[in-house]
Amino acid sequence: MTSYLEWLQDLPVSMWIAGSESLLSFPLILFLHSIGMGLSAGAAFVICLRLVGVARPLPVSSLRVFFRIFWAGFFLNLVTGSLLFAAHATTTGVIPMYYIKLALITAGMVLSVPIRRFVDGDTSDGVVPSQVKGLAALSLLVWVGVITTGRLIAYVG
Amino acid sequence: MTPNFVHMHLLLNHVPTVGTVVALGVLLLGLAKRSEELTRGALALFFAIALVSLPTYMTGYSAQKALKDRPGVSAELMQRHQSAALVALTVMEATGVLAWFGLWQGRKPTGVARWNAPLVLLFATVTLGLMASAANIGGAITHPEIMAPGEGPGTAIAPQSFMTPNIGHFQFTHPFAWPMLESLHFIGLCLLFGVVLVGNLRILGFMKNAPFVDVHRLLPWGVWGFVINAVTGMMFFTGAAGQYIENPAFHLKVLCILLAGANVLYLTLFDEVWALGPGDNAPTSAKLVAASQVFLWVGVIYFGRMLPYIGNAF
Repeated sequence: MTSYLEWLQDLPVSMWIAGSESLLSFPLILFLHSIGMGLSAGAAFVICLRLVGVARPLPVSSLRVFFRIFWAGFFLNLVTGSLLFAAHATTTGVIPMYYIKLALITAGMVLSVPIRRFVDGDTSDGVVPSQVKGLAALSLLVWVGVITTGRLIAYVG
Repeated sequence: MTPNFVHMHLLLNHVPTVGTVVALGVLLLGLAKRSEELTRGALALFFAIALVSLPTYMTGYSAQKALKDRPGVSAELMQRHQSAALVALTVMEATGVLAWFGLWQGRKPTGVARWNAPLVLLFATVTLGLMASAANIGGAITHPEIMAPGEGPGTAIAPQSFMTPNIGHFQFTHPFAWPMLESLHFIGLCLLFGVVLVGNLRILGFMKNAPFVDVHRLLPWGVWGFVINAVTGMMFFTGAAGQYIENPAFHLKVLCILLAGANVLYLTLFDEVWALGPGDNAPTSAKLVAASQVFLWVGVIYFGRMLPYIGNAF
């Protein structure tokens, strides 16, 4: 594990991200990671808030486009997050908080499957079943958890 | 050229006091004449004043820094002015949020709730009193001659200067205070950004099957996101002003917030967006405003994220 983390951190791209003073290096990747967060967690918040009963007149079917935004943000953050991790692999790779964050992201992804099935379905503009409401509420908590643990990585390391 | 924030403070500091007097007058006139137009105008004014009050407060720190070593200037008086201004700012921001809610409710078929205008009136009156008190102390910093005989910096003309040092103290003595406030700031960001996307993507032509009146029901959640971030953001600022007041990334971030705020007001007030039914296409002017709004919030995130890299924040 340690040797893998060291190998990752010693890659030229990792060394450049960690070492360069340029605003186009670490700062730009960090900014893109924030935008990815705004897109994915923002989309998840909007979809799940509507499903738990906020803005009830808004047709659930109109929010289908937000799954595309959610995935766009997710892939942006998969790339930028991996780069940020590689740059500080030996420190971030040993923090439990980092793995809690990854576990929460996985939970958010799993939860998105039944939620999307409902939103994309024919009955999405009818009454939201309590089961979907529960999943949406859980998903809200999970994404709040992802943001919080992500933020804490910078402080507990 | 570096902007002179001390000058800016002396210019901006008239807005919260004089502006509140004007807006209060318009609101009273609107209520007396039962004119919805005037009432809405007054609410929009309160929202705008609440926005401008943010840089008014922040530039005060630059003025304080410029004056603090000057002979004859009382550091204690400046501290009292700052505490009084922070109390006034807090109530001013609450007034601005309430005013926005009034404007928002005005778009619903049920109309503005009866409590809104009286509550805004109450908050604005309290704001005016607090702002006047803060301004009075502020004026005395460089004009000690305006103070009544026997009334020195030590007399009880302002709340004791307990607030700002305490906020900083809290954040730096509790090891998890700053990280948790940061987490909240990012959660608020996602909430605000998500709702900004919904509102503006509808105008830009996505999710067209939704009429704008329905999209509009979600907007208060974006405002809650903004409130979370205004509160946590002001805690960072008052706790460690030194890392922001001379930070170009911070200046640009606040500028983007003000422009995006003006943009929110446009989208709340103008009818062309509100008339959009299912399948309707928004006019080009509204699309331009919507695109610029998304761009401005991305700018807010960019300069916020760049605080430690372009400037000196940690």
